[in-house]
Amino acid sequence: MGEEFVLLISASIFCVGTAGFVIRKNPLIMFMSVELMLNSVNFLLVTYSSFLNSLDGQIFALMIMTVAAAEVVVGLAIILTIFRTRHDMDVDHIDVLKG
Amino acid sequence: MLEIATVFDFTRDAVILVVGLTAVLASLGVVLCSSPIYSALYLIGHMICLALLFLLYNAEFLAVVQIIVYAGAVMILFLFIIALLGGKKEIQENSFHRSMAITFVFILLGELYLSATVGPTKQIQGEIPAEMFGTAKAIGLELFSKHIVAFELASGLLLVAAVGVICLAKFSFAPLRRRTR
Repeated sequence: MGEEFVLLISASIFCVGTAGFVIRKNPLIMFMSVELMLNSVNFLLVTYSSFLNSLDGQIFALMIMTVAAAEVVVGLAIILTIFRTRHDMDVDHIDVLKG
Repeated sequence: MLEIATVFDFTRDAVILVVGLTAVLASLGVVLCSSPIYSALYLIGHMICLALLFLLYNAEFLAVVQIIVYAGAVMILFLFIIALLGGKKEIQENSFHRSMAITFVFILLGELYLSATVGPTKQIQGEIPAEMFGTAKAIGLELFSKHIVAFELASGLLLVAAVGVICLAKFSFAPLRRRTR
């Protein structure tokens, strides 16, 4: 399959992830949308590493997976801490730092 | 009379098309479902579709890592958190911000597509990949010779994340009081 199709699939997944991050209010679903964006970039890196016949893209995708795993663990711990103190799951209500 | 290679290429293209469209539909399911548990299940489906695409593009090691790390570890973590916090349904109302966001996203998609087709990208001629392209052995050789610094830094990153999570979970903070105006 050509590059245009791959670019279109990846761009669609990235844009859906962006939309999810912007329009949803549940922090868990916002995190899942970030995962979608990271995954679309991973897909692009892997396909272009195959097109260019070079393994660097796959190593980069592996590093992105590591960073995403660390990010998810820390983010979910923060969500859990916020929920423990506030019992609320809407990011619009978390405005304690606001002046 | 069709050649075997032509039939193989056609079948591969058809499989890539179907799996790619399924991945896009699953990502739409993640965003549009109102209950977080359905979103998580759609995300697992999306990850599996991406792992299949990795396999189709000669990245078998990354496909296995995708299944184990993402569809396994990360999504189990998500499901545990949803089970702990209670997956409450979210009322989705149509507001001005929402329509603005959707318009912005469509413009972004159009721009990305235009930059992919109109821009000065030159056609990449497909070479035949080497025999063990994308296997665990090839990835390991590359990782431990050319990218050894990045590998060690990733181990440091994971250690810092683990220590940070233990700090967040262990020391409970006093409940924050919402300031009254």
